[in-house]
Amino acid sequence: MEFSHFLQINLASLPYFIPELMLVATLLALIIIDLVMKKPSSSGWLAVVALAGVLITLITVVNQYNLDSRSLFNGMLVLDHFSLFFKVLFLLAASLAILFSMASIELAGRPVGEYFTLLIALVLGMFLMAASTNLIMIYISIELVSISSFVLAAYIKRATRSSEAGLKYAIYGAFSSGLMLYGFSLLYGLTGTLDLYQLANLLSDAVAQNPLVVFLAVLFILAGFGYKIAAVPFHFWAPDVYEGAPTPMTAFFSVGPKAAGFALLIRFFVSGMSQPSLVESTVWQAIGNVNWPQLLAVISAATMTLGNLIALVQNNVKRLLAYSSIAHAGYALMGTVVLTQEGYFATLFYLVAYYLMNMGAFLVVIVFQDLIGSEKIDDYRGLGYRAPLPAVAMGLFLFSLTGLPPTVGFIGKFYLFAALIKAGEQYYWLAVVGVLNSVVSLYYYVKIMKYMFLDRPSEEKATALPVAFGMNIMLIVLMVPILLFGLYWAPLQEFTRNSIQFFTGVF
Amino acid sequence: MSYFDLTFYVFAIGAVVSAGMMVFSRNLIYCAVGLLFALASIAGIYVLLGADFLAATQLLVYVGGILALLLFGIMLSVKFTGVELRTGTLQMLPGLIIVAGLFLLLLRMIYRAEWAVQTPGDMLPTTTTIGKRIMTDLLIPFEIASILLLIALIGAAYMARRERS
Repeated sequence: MEFSHFLQINLASLPYFIPELMLVATLLALIIIDLVMKKPSSSGWLAVVALAGVLITLITVVNQYNLDSRSLFNGMLVLDHFSLFFKVLFLLAASLAILFSMASIELAGRPVGEYFTLLIALVLGMFLMAASTNLIMIYISIELVSISSFVLAAYIKRATRSSEAGLKYAIYGAFSSGLMLYGFSLLYGLTGTLDLYQLANLLSDAVAQNPLVVFLAVLFILAGFGYKIAAVPFHFWAPDVYEGAPTPMTAFFSVGPKAAGFALLIRFFVSGMSQPSLVESTVWQAIGNVNWPQLLAVISAATMTLGNLIALVQNNVKRLLAYSSIAHAGYALMGTVVLTQEGYFATLFYLVAYYLMNMGAFLVVIVFQDLIGSEKIDDYRGLGYRAPLPAVAMGLFLFSLTGLPPTVGFIGKFYLFAALIKAGEQYYWLAVVGVLNSVVSLYYYVKIMKYMFLDRPSEEKATALPVAFGMNIMLIVLMVPILLFGLYWAPLQEFTRNSIQFFTGVF
Repeated sequence: MSYFDLTFYVFAIGAVVSAGMMVFSRNLIYCAVGLLFALASIAGIYVLLGADFLAATQLLVYVGGILALLLFGIMLSVKFTGVELRTGTLQMLPGLIIVAGLFLLLLRMIYRAEWAVQTPGDMLPTTTTIGKRIMTDLLIPFEIASILLLIALIGAAYMARRERS
């Protein structure tokens, strides 16, 4: 094709790329401010600039909602409601992470220029992950997210466990990227294309496709995606990284990159490995002669079961929440196995609920860490009497994580199970596993609450703890939507349902 | 067997053997040298496939740049030279079974699959095509890669910097 034709497409795509350009501008502004300003006084400004950049980007993203779905940059990226939904989620998670970082004493007195620069780069990577429709673009966006996260996990250099977190993250990341690339190369060798839509076309044409190749390719690629969402058996990094990373980053890792992994997984399977069903418009069919939905179902069941069982024996709250976040990846995966609009809606809805309750739970961990200097469950004894508001908030977040009414966690789980049951008998077993797991999870969530409320603090530690004003505000801000959406979830439901709009290709 | 095949097998065997040396040797210098030969053999295979630019990059960046740095790193950190690495093998039997199974599976797959084979034409320089595509349809991956490298640089500088206490 003509050289100028490509250039025109690239130029024409730029107006639809404004949010990403805003992020890049923020990133560069942060680097320059960090260089120009004097060190100790600049950290507040850096946070403000990062937050302002994220909020301006949020406005530009919301502005894109009235645009039609379209392909950008010669099929590298797409702009559709599905990607916009995730972009909004990422920006909300990032703004909370910036606020957490400012409020926590874990990062006080450290140079934060690189910290916020890397965080913004991470958000940019997640944006691209949610929008990529080309295997090269998928790989580069995953790497952008990974490399920024490695450094952020190891940000507290003097702390051995932080360095350990960064190193483990990097090693597992390199390994799973390698496997994923091998999977990509198999698909490329089979079809000769890197574009997801062409891939779907070619895979559906070849009826006599050797299922073994496609199966192995999917398996290897799932190693990359599974690493991002911390699904079993690619979850080994999660507990150590979550425990060692600075807690605001742990909160962010457990929500942001995980949601980005889900965005990528759903887009890859919807656009590249399935085609719309001819019978019904809200259902997809798996192609490539491989029953990969069944594979996802098995991974989902294994992920929630293993995550929950190991969480039972944890005595460090950060580690416990790490295993719980593995389990939640399993729950959210349930929605992706049925290949219906209902299922994807349930997954997206659950990710929003998970964002609210998990960010909240980690915020309480930050509050207590700043006050008592520990995240051991034993040290949480009697905190319900010493710091009532954070403890009550923790109770609410944990109830929501368990999936009890009247919280948004309950609604999210309800939709997931409903989607599975609606899709037919084939996945009843998965719903049963999910319900059993929720019961198991109740035990360890309640264990934290028992320590906080039923055990009295020891005599010398019976003083009330001074919780910072800002922390209280943030806790309340996170508690309100959990209760609100638990009772009146129609707006969130409508917003999410409108987001299941995939760009369908240009053929 | 044609000369082409013969050359290919020389490079392929070279790559496998030196990769084995890299993994199994207990001396870091030997490991690095093993890696050197593995990377160079792969570059040879790239040449055979007509990917001249890729081969040159492989030699310049990996063999010439990264590996030289790696060797300097090992030699400058006195602690490592001559020290036996303490490596152990855990779960020998299950590991062997899984690896052998995977190997057979991959072998079966490689022979069974109908690959989208492309017969190479005349060996022309690929740089023009690469340059054009990087400026046209692969523009965005190229630009994002530059941000990726910038971030990697910032991260590496941060990790390497001494923290003021």
